[in-house]
Amino acid sequence: MTDWIRLLIDIIFWPPLFQLVIAPGLVAALLVVIFIIWFERKTAARVQMRIGPYHISPRLGGFLQLFADLTRYAFQEIIIPTAVDKPIFIGAPLTALVLSLLPVVSMPYTSTPYYYPLPMDYSLLLTVALSTISPIFIVAAGWASNNKFAVIGSLRESFVITAYELLIVITALSGGVAALSYNLVDIVNAQTPFYKWMIFTNPIAALTMFAAILMATSGFPFEIPEAENEIVAGAFTEYSGLMYGINMGSAYIKRFVYSLLFTLVFLGGWLPYKPGIHLIDGYIIPLVVVLVKATIVMAIISFLRAVYGRFRIDQALDGAWRIFIPLALIGFGLALLEAYMGVYA
Amino acid sequence: MSTTTTIPKKLPGMDLKKIGKDLYEVFIGPQHPGSGHMRIIIRVDGDVIVEADPDLGYVHRTMEKLAEGREFIKIVPLMERMAILDACNITLPYVEAVEKLMDIEPPPRAKYLRVLLCEINRVASHLYGMGIFGVFLGHSTMYMWPFGDREVFVELAEKLTGARLTHTYAIPGGVRRDLPQGFKEDAEKAVRYMFKRLEEYRKIFLDNPVIQKRLIDVGIISKNLAAKLGIVGPNVRASGIKYDVRIIEPYEAYDELDFEVPVYEEGDAFARAWIRIIEIQQSLNIIRQVLEKMPEGDPMHEKFWAKAPPLYKKVFQETKRVKLIPLFANLKVPAGRAFARAEAGRGEVVYMVESQNAMKPYRVRVVSPSFRNAIVFKYIVPGHRIADLPAIYGSIDYFPPEADR
Amino acid sequence: MPGKVVEKQTPKPRFINAITGNLGAILVGLKYFANPNRFTLKYPYEYIELRNTYRGFIVLDMKKCIGCMSCARICPASAMKMVKVTVQEGKKPKPYPVINYNRCIFCGMCVDVCPTEALAHLPVHDVVYLSMDEMDLDLERFQQKVESPSVKEGVPVKYVFDPEKGLVKVPASEGGES
Ligand code: SF4
Ligand code: SF4
Repeated sequence: MTDWIRLLIDIIFWPPLFQLVIAPGLVAALLVVIFIIWFERKTAARVQMRIGPYHISPRLGGFLQLFADLTRYAFQEIIIPTAVDKPIFIGAPLTALVLSLLPVVSMPYTSTPYYYPLPMDYSLLLTVALSTISPIFIVAAGWASNNKFAVIGSLRESFVITAYELLIVITALSGGVAALSYNLVDIVNAQTPFYKWMIFTNPIAALTMFAAILMATSGFPFEIPEAENEIVAGAFTEYSGLMYGINMGSAYIKRFVYSLLFTLVFLGGWLPYKPGIHLIDGYIIPLVVVLVKATIVMAIISFLRAVYGRFRIDQALDGAWRIFIPLALIGFGLALLEAYMGVYA
Repeated sequence: MSTTTTIPKKLPGMDLKKIGKDLYEVFIGPQHPGSGHMRIIIRVDGDVIVEADPDLGYVHRTMEKLAEGREFIKIVPLMERMAILDACNITLPYVEAVEKLMDIEPPPRAKYLRVLLCEINRVASHLYGMGIFGVFLGHSTMYMWPFGDREVFVELAEKLTGARLTHTYAIPGGVRRDLPQGFKEDAEKAVRYMFKRLEEYRKIFLDNPVIQKRLIDVGIISKNLAAKLGIVGPNVRASGIKYDVRIIEPYEAYDELDFEVPVYEEGDAFARAWIRIIEIQQSLNIIRQVLEKMPEGDPMHEKFWAKAPPLYKKVFQETKRVKLIPLFANLKVPAGRAFARAEAGRGEVVYMVESQNAMKPYRVRVVSPSFRNAIVFKYIVPGHRIADLPAIYGSIDYFPPEADR
Repeated sequence: MPGKVVEKQTPKPRFINAITGNLGAILVGLKYFANPNRFTLKYPYEYIELRNTYRGFIVLDMKKCIGCMSCARICPASAMKMVKVTVQEGKKPKPYPVINYNRCIFCGMCVDVCPTEALAHLPVHDVVYLSMDEMDLDLERFQQKVESPSVKEGVPVKYVFDPEKGLVKVPASEGGES
């Protein structure tokens, strides 16, 4: 009997599967995203003299409203206009959702080798590479929609993504350079004690990456590709019901994945916790620590929506190429310097 | 047998028009989250707008024609529907014109009361404009804050007039209610609150680098262009033209009040945002002054008030309500033609009333500020990017129901 | 002393504003995040106890009405019309006003013009009718005082002005005269 349970546990917690499907993959990501959307609405409401979601569950601060919205999206009629390119119109958002989730498998959430989903030697490079695929499908979705606003939207998307994902790549790699390894486990483990977290040793790169996450994942009001008052819903103008929900969801999931990466590279991952070797102390607890840190990063992003307005596309690109790329390069230089001086050696 | 379908060269109302190579025609409105009840047809080359065509008339309600079939007093609530959030300002010139025809002048207290409500309306109307401006720039806090704070002034107006928006307050001869109890203290509280809030608006909105980037040097209306197009209100004052009806032709009690009219040089969207903030400040000052200087007396002209029966006086004493004598229903206005104008929240509003010694006007002509401002879209939008269109739209504070009448 | 024109210039963005402006905006946001100022009315769990000067629904006092028709004549929306009713046996039918809430814009002119105060506003603004016909009141229903549907389960509140928070929602009982 105990063998049975052991086998079951081993199957469920087999890292490649567990990480993609349960945590931090599909299930946990969905929960975190729902929490973040709720948090975002409540935060904005607090700042803005409103109450926000309330009526459905006054005790929980309207948390169930999100599930109600989800249900509504799920059961709404999906309208597929006749003029669209159907296979791409339907396929692109789904592919984008799956691909935006994929990088979670290439990241470690513990330093116990038994719980690595993949060999970790080049995990940073792999993560960064995987995270850059999904935008192509958003552009494709916009193109397939055969709508003027969607075309303008996907054009903007491609501009923004080119500029800001480059930033994410440079800044994330500067973490690897400083720690003299592309192994995310090494990068995290190098960041002890806590004043050696890379956000303290390399704040420029951290700030740049944070700004790049803001812009690249198009959360309101940094959703230049979907700016409502300008181009309705950008690439997703023609989508409705669940398909629209998936599109919105994949943007949040992308933000979640980047927050995880940010946590690992700049916020010391599961540190200060020291993972043990068993399932609970070696896998679950560090995972939860990482998730909590990533959620806090996302919460800060959510708060900023109440403070800022929307950039214009040319200004956003201008900022990226003329301010942030130099900043990112400075951060990279700083990382090189640290590597040279052996801060993390 | 030919298989080609013949497309008629010209469908009624639908001109098939070539718009040049590489241009993209985008319809902003009337069902677009970034347009009001109007449409702007833009042609874009890449991201840059090369042509813009404001297409008005979606909320045209034939107000001028309707007015010809109504008794004089009934036109006040009708004209209010142009801009219900600016109700007193927008109907005041009409009332003044009728008064001119009847050759009566409202008592001083009525004048002050009218100015009071006008300024409360101006604050509310500017706040409404700021809110729309905020959301057009994607700044959701600047959307909610002015709308929330506007509630304070709507509440103040409700206390004074009994209705939140369509006050129908100024009528020929005076106003319909006197100051209620405790109004002065409440107004003072609201004014103090608003001064404090304006400071915070500045911090979160006008000093915000993102917003500054979006507004500075966007949608510049030069002094010449402003004069040529004949635009009015805060928009023209942001372009350096000193034109405010309250100064060049003071009406009601404005010549007894001390206030400033800000004029900015730049003429860009940023100046138009700033001018609204300063105007709200000045309006708050005026509200304070009006309550200080308010003379005693009746709020209704003696022609209608002196002969009022004792019950009327009693009701006035108890509830501050000015009862109307039945004559008002069929007010006969001497023949003639009168003009009057006032500075509404969005600019100068002009009325021409012509009477032929009857109970209904022969003609009521309205020129509303938004109508005069709408033309700027055609001239200043080209050359900007698509993202600038909401910024310009918001900064002009264009209000379709007011323009379409 | 009339108003005067003051020429001004918009503040020019300095480089330092890139830091102070961002910080200032975030701090204001944080201030309200920590200490929100909201006066949302949780209707229908709460409802506003309106001032008695509010221009709400209208009620007729038939005893006072003298049938002068002023109200129907001044009504700008033609919401009020007169009906002839025989009140006492053997007497000539007298005109009385009835109201059609489909049309009424609550301008309150009828109430103000009535020479005998036979019409009065009620401090109610949220009555529900199930059909458009129902909104066309007859003489009998015009005399009944309508009641707000939120009275049954809602809590009455009042808004009072406040120099710090703008408006503050208080229970109606302690609102005082406002
Ligand atoms: S309130 Fe105005 S619209 Fe309504 S019945 Fe009276 S006069 Fe007519
Ligand atoms: S104005 Fe008053 S008295 Fe005259 S008909 Fe109307 S309700 Fe009756």
